[in-house]
Amino acid sequence: MNPNARSFNFNPSASGFVPSWATPPQAQQQQQQEQQYTQGYPYAQQGGYGGYPYDQPYNPQQGYAGYAPPAMQPQMPEQPQQPQRLSAKEQMEMMSGSGGGGASQPVSLSLGGAPAKPSAKELLERKSDTPAKSMSISLGGAKPKPAEKPAAATKEAPKEAPKAAPAPKAAPASAAAPPKAATPQPKSASPAPSKSNDTSGTSTPVSKSAILAAQGKTDTIIKESRAAADAETLKDLFGADGVQPKQHLNVVFCGHVDAGKSTMGGQLLHLTGMVDKRTLEKYEKDAKEAGRESWYLSWALDSTPQEREKGKTVEVGRAFFETEQRRYTILDAPGHKGYVPSMISGAAQADVAVLVISARKGEFETGFEKGGQTREHVVLAKTAGVQKMIVVVNKMDEPTVQWDKSRFDEIVTKLNPFLKGSGFNLKTDVTYIPVSAYSGDNIKEPVSKSKVDWVEGPALIPFLDSMPLVDRNFSAPLMMPISEKYKDMGTMVVGKIESGTLKVNDKLTLMPNRDQVEVMSIENEVDEPVPIALCGDNVRLKLRGVDDENVQVGFVLTDPKKPVKTVRQFEAQLAILDHKNIICAGYGAMMHCHTLAEEVNLAALLHYYDKKTGRKSKKAPQFAKKGQKIVALLESTGPVCVERFNDYPQLGRFTLRDEGKTVAIGKITKLIEKTETGELADVSTGVQDMAINK
Amino acid sequence: MSSSDDIAAQNVQIWKMKRVIRWLDSVRGNGTSMISLISNGRAQISQLSAMLTQEYGTASNIKSRVNRLSVLAAITSTQQRLKLYTRMPNNGLVLFVGTIVTDDGKEKKVSIDFEPHRPINTSLYLCDNKFHTEALQELLESDTKFGFIIMDGNGSLFGTLAGNTREVINKFTVDLPKKHGRGGQSAMRFSRLRDEKRHNYVRKVAEVAVQHFITADKINVAGLVLAGSADFKNELSQSDLFDPRLASKIVKIVDVSYGGENGFNQAIDLSAESLQNVKFVQEKKLISRYFDEISLDTGKFCFGIEDTLRALDLGAVQDLIVFENLEVTRHKLRNAAGEEVVLHISKGQEDDRSKFIDQSTGSEMEPIGEPQSLLEWFAENYKEFGANLEFVTDKSQEGAQFVRGFGGVGGLLRYKVDLAHLAALDEDNMSDEFYDSDDE
Repeated sequence: MNPNARSFNFNPSASGFVPSWATPPQAQQQQQQEQQYTQGYPYAQQGGYGGYPYDQPYNPQQGYAGYAPPAMQPQMPEQPQQPQRLSAKEQMEMMSGSGGGGASQPVSLSLGGAPAKPSAKELLERKSDTPAKSMSISLGGAKPKPAEKPAAATKEAPKEAPKAAPAPKAAPASAAAPPKAATPQPKSASPAPSKSNDTSGTSTPVSKSAILAAQGKTDTIIKESRAAADAETLKDLFGADGVQPKQHLNVVFCGHVDAGKSTMGGQLLHLTGMVDKRTLEKYEKDAKEAGRESWYLSWALDSTPQEREKGKTVEVGRAFFETEQRRYTILDAPGHKGYVPSMISGAAQADVAVLVISARKGEFETGFEKGGQTREHVVLAKTAGVQKMIVVVNKMDEPTVQWDKSRFDEIVTKLNPFLKGSGFNLKTDVTYIPVSAYSGDNIKEPVSKSKVDWVEGPALIPFLDSMPLVDRNFSAPLMMPISEKYKDMGTMVVGKIESGTLKVNDKLTLMPNRDQVEVMSIENEVDEPVPIALCGDNVRLKLRGVDDENVQVGFVLTDPKKPVKTVRQFEAQLAILDHKNIICAGYGAMMHCHTLAEEVNLAALLHYYDKKTGRKSKKAPQFAKKGQKIVALLESTGPVCVERFNDYPQLGRFTLRDEGKTVAIGKITKLIEKTETGELADVSTGVQDMAINK
Repeated sequence: MSSSDDIAAQNVQIWKMKRVIRWLDSVRGNGTSMISLISNGRAQISQLSAMLTQEYGTASNIKSRVNRLSVLAAITSTQQRLKLYTRMPNNGLVLFVGTIVTDDGKEKKVSIDFEPHRPINTSLYLCDNKFHTEALQELLESDTKFGFIIMDGNGSLFGTLAGNTREVINKFTVDLPKKHGRGGQSAMRFSRLRDEKRHNYVRKVAEVAVQHFITADKINVAGLVLAGSADFKNELSQSDLFDPRLASKIVKIVDVSYGGENGFNQAIDLSAESLQNVKFVQEKKLISRYFDEISLDTGKFCFGIEDTLRALDLGAVQDLIVFENLEVTRHKLRNAAGEEVVLHISKGQEDDRSKFIDQSTGSEMEPIGEPQSLLEWFAENYKEFGANLEFVTDKSQEGAQFVRGFGGVGGLLRYKVDLAHLAALDEDNMSDEFYDSDDE
């Protein structure tokens, strides 16, 4: 590490941060930092920064227009001083690795802002990483300051040392109000020193009380800064205005077998022009020959002969379409109950679920009965992390339905209580849209009023376009569970990025095997190479450094400095949904967590929750049965990559299935690590908790 | 009624035999003076005794005096044992006679004779330094062995189920191209590659199946169950690559949602009706019934040693379910006041003597007789309580739960018994059974 890094490594772990900067070695460090600081300044200028007036301090990225990082790195060697150059370079790498933002210098601001949320906690929790983090932070601190530098020059000496502290302060304070012309400058100058004590308190793991005290103040800032940081990261990556790509949304189609999920997917592709006419005509002809005329639309997604022959999707179909507002990845889940595991892996990658219901007489009822997949899919989608549900009532053009409003209403009334019971908020999370996937009515264009007069609200595609986007966590460390892998001139992996961002040439860790890999290329849904992928994107990567035989579905690609946890044992809350008799210690089932499917065993039941009061028992229950909520210790056969639900909801919720049924859903409350760093990690989670105030 | 009694009695007999065999296997004698005599039901007693007389003659020529004497002694006692039988039992006869060396170096004479529970087909006379039980082991193994092939897009598992043992013979994974994913290749080429890989996979599974289920050109299982999630199992069963000898033995094709162990378990479950005579399935059924009682909260169940013994004393136990490897010993002690106390100590606790201390005097209680395995005690005494004794393994999902969650001892009751009042002491601190909030 460079000297700078060491200094920071030292600082937070010193008994007291604030007093320590008065000591001689610190003085040296200050100097170094200052050097580095001034160093950072000119290089910011290189980035087309200097030319900007104060009111634009946060959009310097314009200088980079598109993709700053690759452009930045060649710039680095131009730095005059050898050692500094090294450090700068390292920074670049760290930052690019950290996923907190691009490597461009302005990114560092966003990093400064971003870690404001994690900064306090991250500094504490990952001492070994501190150098990296604080580096970026220090840059962040530097960033808004170039403008104010002359003014703040005097203050800088004291401020510099606890740089980690003022930096996040300055950054969020200003970052939270980027449009405020010149104000950020004085703002960041004045509050920073005043608060620097508090924040330095936060960054020193001296005492809990200090943390807590500081935390109160930082809390609100954390929230703001997080949003701001995400915005900044985006800006940094794509330039300030307009260059950002369209928002990306992952949609999973679920529902009972033969509800028309694949047909609906095919229709969407057709209407958005992703499947050309000729292909479709060919499908139509082939389908006619096979005597399955009505299946031709689904053939766009059901590509294998096995699936086409039976008209049943087996594996999750993946397709892409684009509207003027957004880009979409469709995940066409199989509806058959035998293929539910496949459906779960699809749902795990989705942001929004489209529940396809057949309005046809009898079909809705079968699907909704106990044992029908409508129910199971809703529960699974919810557990997989889907927050919004669009219930599409399909087959409205059927002879038995004929766009009958009463049928639609009947379905709505029957479904409502169930969806509510599954944890969806009927007002905000659930929308009903009657459609006909086969004829394409109310998919892109609303159904013509002459045919049906009662349908209100937008059609499916416009509705998807207008949906508020789910939260994206751009500035968090990278997490990408692998949902597919194969060999194609190298190791290819496919997955949805759950948090963070990644770029070509990033050095990452593939957990649980800790393989060091490098991203050779990133491709989006339409096989075009892209330089950056963001949280929420569904991408395929070509990796260097790992053989495809050593990659498995369910592995997680993570930031080397903050890798996903790998455990064999964990404690979790379980809600038992369905089981024939009782569950007790020794019970084994399949666990589905993100894209992972692993056999787990209940090693012990620890507590149960009283049904009426919801209180947790001290005594371990002898057994648990349907409808109960318990806390249990689970053991997996191999190491699994999971996280606590509180830290990463997407990697902390899971489903237990056995004998073709969903037995329980759960969330992980505690990881029991037995690695050499186990103890350290445990402590860190504790501190992290405090910092985020769970 | 009587038939079910017979079966239950037979199960106990099998269990006892297992125990004896395990013990016989473990003992060693001095020199080659341990006689194993097994005869099938078709032989005559007189033939056996004639053979023994001849052997006696031969043995008297042994040079070493010690060896000669001990062999002759063993043959004599075998002859005496044989005299107890007036005619050959239907299922044949098994005799083990000899002098064994116990753990503390003492010599002990052993002579065991019994009629096996099933007709035995072997005839054997051996003098060795150990007892030969191989023929009996075979007898214990259920003759109906079923083969399982769990095959799906991720891999295959080959397993067998015989009696109450479930065994995984082989499993391997396979990497088949998924539906989507490859860009840049033409659809035709992709689908051809895919078909080729699938074909190779089916071929591999068919070949491995032959390896495992056909020995010496004969199929070694009574039936074959194919399971899997997608179409592969059907493809396999219809494929030309699949050995017709195996294909003719397919008893069932079932749909399971997972591969691997979980799929195996589910396949056993789903094919239960075709495998009704297999002990494993019966065992699963029994424990499921027990779990059903618990989940319905009928009160017609008990678990734990204490509760179960109490229920036994009440005569309420219909079926007594015990884990076959339960490591609990029963100590009968007499305390200072001359009362008999019975203690049940599990294996780990044996070193802890505090339980053997009489509370009133503080001195250790006096043991009455040898400590006995609780299992043996159950096997000897279950009839007195009017119960059926069922031994279970922890090989099945249910069995594992029963052993780990309920301690391996439990019973189905004839009528509802309120065992809860016995745990009344625990009820007192019911008020703080719960945490005030979630945070422990």
